Amino acid sequence: MPDLPDDRDRPGTPDLPDDRNGFDTPSRPAGPPAGPGRTRERTAVPETPPAPSGAPSAAPAGVIHDIGYRHYDGVRLGRAHAAGALTLHTLRGVFGLGRPARSKIIPFALATIMMFPTVVSIGVMALIKRDPIISYTGYAVTMQVVLAIFLAAQSPYTVAPDLRFRVLPLYLSRPVRLLDYVGAKVAAMTAAMFLVLAVPLTVLFVGELVIDPPGPAHTSDYLTALAGAVVLAVTLSCLGVAIASFTPRRGLGVAAVIAFYLLTSAVSGALAAMLESVNDYTAAAWAWVINPFFLVDAAVQVGLLGAKASGPTTYPAGAGVVVTILAVVALIALSVTALILRYRKAASR
Amino acid sequence: MNGVIAGISYRALLGRRRIWLLVLLPLVLLGLAVLLRWIGEAGEQAAVTLMQTFAIGTMLPLLGLIAGTGVIAPEIEDGTVVHLLSKPISRPVIARTKFVVAASLLALFGAVPTFAASYLLVGSESGIAYGFAAGALAGGVAYAAVFMLLGIITRHAVTIGIAYALVWEGVVGNFVPGARRFSIQQWAQTVADQVSSSAFLSTGITIGFAAVALLVVTIGAIVWAGHRLRGFSLTGDE
Repeated sequence: MPDLPDDRDRPGTPDLPDDRNGFDTPSRPAGPPAGPGRTRERTAVPETPPAPSGAPSAAPAGVIHDIGYRHYDGVRLGRAHAAGALTLHTLRGVFGLGRPARSKIIPFALATIMMFPTVVSIGVMALIKRDPIISYTGYAVTMQVVLAIFLAAQSPYTVAPDLRFRVLPLYLSRPVRLLDYVGAKVAAMTAAMFLVLAVPLTVLFVGELVIDPPGPAHTSDYLTALAGAVVLAVTLSCLGVAIASFTPRRGLGVAAVIAFYLLTSAVSGALAAMLESVNDYTAAAWAWVINPFFLVDAAVQVGLLGAKASGPTTYPAGAGVVVTILAVVALIALSVTALILRYRKAASR
Repeated sequence: MNGVIAGISYRALLGRRRIWLLVLLPLVLLGLAVLLRWIGEAGEQAAVTLMQTFAIGTMLPLLGLIAGTGVIAPEIEDGTVVHLLSKPISRPVIARTKFVVAASLLALFGAVPTFAASYLLVGSESGIAYGFAAGALAGGVAYAAVFMLLGIITRHAVTIGIAYALVWEGVVGNFVPGARRFSIQQWAQTVADQVSSSAFLSTGITIGFAAVALLVVTIGAIVWAGHRLRGFSLTGDE
């Protein structure tokens, strides 16, 4: 009876059941059904020791069998390489590379919108030979809505899936430490934000050099804008990733980050308008820097590097510059601390 | 309407971290109103500006986004929506129930604080408080329907909704006056303008157009959402 399926297996697939036969046959009452007359070249070996290997009567509960996998004895690239790989993977993911096509639509659409002022400026420069219509240092402030949407749409991607599927312990079982993980995520988002802002600036600058409108090139403006872009990218990414890391849901993360931007910008605008209507321009200047874009502009581009204010009015001057710089540093420190605390908790689960 | 689905949706929206965003936004509006009053600038013009830019322009779309997508999108993301869809409940009924939940939350967290804040600023002067409450209610209901539909259609509902609210209604609407005719925010302001008699509030759209547009968009979105749910296919994540 039990050899019926065995017989059926033989003619069709001579190779495949090889392994299974070796496992099955010993549990059968020795050889009689198979019969000596039948051709059994392959399974002959496991048939000889039937009782000891097949019957798990006295076997302990947990045994690790060495099933003959080869060990890895190549070079181990270590912690730094793992962190770098994680950063690159996250950066690619922010732009949807290595993800399906519909994940690429939003980041690339937003990056394209960021190019619009550059394209228009280059066109105008080429046609009527005048300075760029958009200033280098004012680029980020002018396009702040697009930058904010990019931050909100993409920073939850960097953290939400890992939290949702609870794969953090898997990362941490490798040489990557918790700080490396958090650092990789923030660094990738920072690089993405910087690219989105610096590429249009650079294209605009190259365009200006090529077209060469009358008057000196705005080299210092361009470098100031790049410095501003670095600080802006760091600040916004730390904030965005920190806010997004508090929920494992991507949709809610997007809403939370954009709510942060809209709240600060709307509150800053409303407060400044109120204060200007009572002619308190010093307080209004402080109200403007509630908006993180104006804050970084005030601290870095205007305060440290002496550019012209890109905001609607003036920024706090004198000691106010120091306060805005401290505020930027405090904002970054606060976000990073929150992020690390959040991940300590997430990793311990 | 289905009471059980409504209860589950309420619990999903109010029992998690989502509620903090829903509470935070109205609190900031009330805080600004108190501050404005404290500074002593609680005139009619200031009230109208605050309501236009903050209550209708910022808070309402965000609340609509959080509540509108929040009633259905997390379930789709989790895949738990299959349990809901496998029950012998008509899919349009599910869509209508989810819409009612989202719209009621927008009324509670959007229209009521708008009324409170504007009443705090100007009392019942020229009907500003009633006007903006009505506008926020009408706009909130439309936002709830549209964003719920968006949450069923796409997994990037929140991002697309934000792009609509900020880029289309905000930036494009400022430069291209024609775009304002197709903006829920402007329709809400038109409703507010209709109720209030304030001279500081004026919109370029007639109430006839705005009312019809609000109705068409709301009902159309609910019907389409029900239709989408009838032939819903759950795709894999990413």
